[in-house]
Amino acid sequence: MRSEERFGRVRTLQCVVLAIFLLLAGRLAYLQLIDKRYADLARANVLRHVVQYPPRGEVFDRRGEYLVQSRECYDLMVIYSDIDKRGFDTTRLCEVLNLSREKLRRELANARMRPRAPRVVVNYISKEDKLRFDECNFRGFYTVYRTVRRYPRKVGGNLLGYVGEVTEDMLRRHPSYKAGDYVGMSGVESAYEPLLRGEKGVKIQEIDTHGAIKGSYMGGLYDSLPEPGRYIVSTIDARLQLLGEELMRGKVGAAVAIEPSTGEILMMVSSPTYDPDELVGRERGNNYMKMLRNKRHPLFNRAVKAKYPPGSTFKLVQGLIGQQEGVLRPSDTHSCHLGYTYGRKKMACHAHASPLDLRFAVATSCNAYFCYVFRDILENRKYGGVKEGFDVWREYVESFGFGRKLGSDFLDEGNGYVPDRAYYDRRYRGSWNALTVLSLSIGQDALGCTPLQLANLAAIVANRGYYYIPHIVKRIEGQDSLDRRFYERHYTKVDARHFDPIVEGMWRGVNVGGTSTRAMLPGLDVCGKTGTAQNPHGRDHSTFLSFAPKDNPRIAISVYVENGGFGATSALPIASLLEEYYLTDTIRRPELVEYVKNMNIYYPSYDR
Amino acid sequence: MTADRSNGIFYGVDRWTVLLYVAIVLAGWVSITAASYDEGAADVFSFSHFYMKQAVWVGVAWVTALVVLLLDERFYHMFAYPAYFAGLALLVAALAFGKEVNGAKAWFEFGSFRVQPVEFAKIATALAVARVMSDYSFSIARFGDLMRVGVVICVPLLIIVLQNDTGSGIVLGSFLFVLYREGLNKWLCIPVLLIAALFIVSFLLSPLALLVLLILVCTLSEAMMSGEWRSRIIYLAVLALSALVLCLAMHFIAPGRMSLYGALLTVTLLSLVGVTIYAFRAGLSNTLITVALFIAAMVFLPTTDRLFDSLKDHQQKRILSFLGIVNDPSGADYNVNQSKIAIGSGGFAGKGFLEGTQIKYGFVPERHTDFIFCTVGEEWGFLGTMTVLTLLCLLILRLMRMGERQQEPFGRIYCYCVAAILLFHVLVNVGMTIGLMPVMGIPLPFMSYGGSSLIAFTILLFIAVRFDASTRQFSLDKF
Repeated sequence: MRSEERFGRVRTLQCVVLAIFLLLAGRLAYLQLIDKRYADLARANVLRHVVQYPPRGEVFDRRGEYLVQSRECYDLMVIYSDIDKRGFDTTRLCEVLNLSREKLRRELANARMRPRAPRVVVNYISKEDKLRFDECNFRGFYTVYRTVRRYPRKVGGNLLGYVGEVTEDMLRRHPSYKAGDYVGMSGVESAYEPLLRGEKGVKIQEIDTHGAIKGSYMGGLYDSLPEPGRYIVSTIDARLQLLGEELMRGKVGAAVAIEPSTGEILMMVSSPTYDPDELVGRERGNNYMKMLRNKRHPLFNRAVKAKYPPGSTFKLVQGLIGQQEGVLRPSDTHSCHLGYTYGRKKMACHAHASPLDLRFAVATSCNAYFCYVFRDILENRKYGGVKEGFDVWREYVESFGFGRKLGSDFLDEGNGYVPDRAYYDRRYRGSWNALTVLSLSIGQDALGCTPLQLANLAAIVANRGYYYIPHIVKRIEGQDSLDRRFYERHYTKVDARHFDPIVEGMWRGVNVGGTSTRAMLPGLDVCGKTGTAQNPHGRDHSTFLSFAPKDNPRIAISVYVENGGFGATSALPIASLLEEYYLTDTIRRPELVEYVKNMNIYYPSYDR
Repeated sequence: MTADRSNGIFYGVDRWTVLLYVAIVLAGWVSITAASYDEGAADVFSFSHFYMKQAVWVGVAWVTALVVLLLDERFYHMFAYPAYFAGLALLVAALAFGKEVNGAKAWFEFGSFRVQPVEFAKIATALAVARVMSDYSFSIARFGDLMRVGVVICVPLLIIVLQNDTGSGIVLGSFLFVLYREGLNKWLCIPVLLIAALFIVSFLLSPLALLVLLILVCTLSEAMMSGEWRSRIIYLAVLALSALVLCLAMHFIAPGRMSLYGALLTVTLLSLVGVTIYAFRAGLSNTLITVALFIAAMVFLPTTDRLFDSLKDHQQKRILSFLGIVNDPSGADYNVNQSKIAIGSGGFAGKGFLEGTQIKYGFVPERHTDFIFCTVGEEWGFLGTMTVLTLLCLLILRLMRMGERQQEPFGRIYCYCVAAILLFHVLVNVGMTIGLMPVMGIPLPFMSYGGSSLIAFTILLFIAVRFDASTRQFSLDKF
């Protein structure tokens, strides 16, 4: 080999060596200097973000008694890829945590789909089980602190609502929630969800390749503590609520009590109700399905959603509108001989003295009297026609809070229904008059009111013309006041002076002589109005509106018992007992309690 | 050229090589410490830790280096063939009685101490190659001599591949580097390398693309050898045209009977007959060699699928994942991904000694042996990796330089063998940690944890130093 060729070859080889090293160096420069991804990936490798769940806010009743407590519990989580590949003692795990092998196997099969993501294996592990689990140290499994609800009084199922795992739909609409979070699904829990929820915290831990925790990242510099949910003082009186639920047991209907001077809801019973503890914990799903299948629909909050015909209690509204419109003076008398005859038809009435004035008509609940009043309102000449008169009437009715949401803090509040002109035009093809819709005068026909709206009517009459929006929350931790709307007086379109004869009539109906005399409580000046609503489902619905005392009323109440017969038969005793208990803290009529509890009502429409 | 012992054993020893060696070994030891340091361990100096064990091995290796320097260089010359056959015997013994570790049946176990005979077989092969090629009558241009070298290299290579330790086997392929230095026709090297590359990617390409590539590689390298460009390019154009015409014609005569691939193959094989006859007449040996290479490649290419199937499952996965055919971050890709993350997250200056989270918390597998370079990358950053690479690069260049100043071909060839082995190890090992090479379990010289590997590399290097020392003693004594 010639020397210059040898020299060239040596040069070539040196260049090959240098080229190889430059290739390696270039790649290293790219990895270490240019591509910034790897620092994040390294962090993702080493850091585990452990969510710290805050305890959910608790709910007290107006006297400071627990309605809802938060109890500590744990979720068992698994990261499938971290499980010991040689297998682990499944029997022991099942034994310690009290769960079936079948369930464990199923959950592990699910967890396998996304092996690196944490997944819940089982919820609601008690503190004792958690401590025992901690002693065993199963690789890949860990527990997460959660809180569950507890209901010391076991009242107010629909009112307080329940908490459940966030649904797919919620996740789409509220991206701040993560799968597995708990969220209020109804009642107070959902209405005040953002306050009760609190803020999640995060703890950043350094882990090794086996998932074992090596310490906190940067000494906990980037950790955040969970912020507990705020507590809420509700307006509910737990003892009254308990009594209400007891009295309503076995009946279908609702009872709502409001403090007229503030609009605070003292009690809200929707019957049948359920034990709220049943919608907590592992049995939640089963119990929930059972309730869904129950034909009486215990999960349906009748107190704010049901549309009931108000019956005779609606005569109060008719009397007030009549006076305001100037077609009725309290002293006006009409005669009634077992009813109101028009054409060949007759609106029947019961036996009572005749003729009678407004006060007496309210006290005895005369149908004919209010037929006259209603016709006078609709056929008022100054509006030039019945339909125009009807529009005016409807506006009045709406000002009492009917046919629309009151704006309470129940998110799922119902509208009720007040028919409008278009409805009757459709129904009677345009040809109708005051007589066609005469049933409206006594609160029948297409009228639908929620028990909350009826209680609000009682509060309006008690206040002589205005109401505060009924609400369930009295105070929120860390807030001086509630939403502004709860402090505003809402006036009806009827002047305060027109209320006196009506109140007088209601007082006389209880204390002098009328349909409501059983509701009399000595010294409390109870005012009341019964209602008996015909309906297509069977026996008449029984309803009772009441407030007490007559001056400076402290409680306004409406009770509605489906198929309960006359207003005085079932709704009245319940309302009366509740008033007595709230105002005097005692019940002096145990025989009436027995009567109400033993009342047997047959519900053909539900229990087919 | 007698060694004069009166000047002590370090007389004539290349100081730079020794310095580089010591620096690399120490860097390795620091990295092993970082990779295996356990904060929780009660006794930091206990010999159960890898870094304490490695400290002992470093001591043993240095004593070994002294012994290697003490022996006369003629001993190695004489010892070359016996060592070679002993190495072969050890390899066969490992294949027969050895212990299987990580799927490779390549280990002897003495109690808790494990030796991989491959490490020593490399030294023996290097000595044998040097011995064969330094024979007085040896000429690399002669076919028979080339075959002899080929046999010396290929026999241990085959045994090692049979041990299922393909990575170590391929190391011996790096002797191509030496052959080139000794005058192997350079235009034979390039098609060989290219065809080797084609073999690796053959299952990625369609048969047609593969055939076209093969024809191009062979024709063009033949053109380079002979310097005749015009006729070769005309030949290519004629091939392409006639293949197209044939394909179209067949399409009309018997549709569906012959694809473009078939047409091209037919045309090429027919043309080869003509080319061969012409080459014989004109006495063009280069053309003949190329034709032989092409035919050999054509025969062997279809076997790559079979060859691939015969690989062990984990090797298939590694190759597939390296080529990006499968992407499985928690499976076969896991090692490489984690090692890239570790190195990449080191950034410019690194995270600092014992601060590397990926290393410390065990995300990088084999972090003190094959993936030791990750520790350097994560804890010392770009500065650290560049330092280590520079040290290794300087050592290899130094070895080549030492080879060039030998007066006897034996010493020169041996030095080049060492340089080639080291270069290949560095390329594959560092390359695999940064995703440039498929994962093959071969260590980083002087740095990876392991006594047998460190001692073997030390012997390998210091034999070269010994030869160099004698040469320099001779020249030093002269003046």
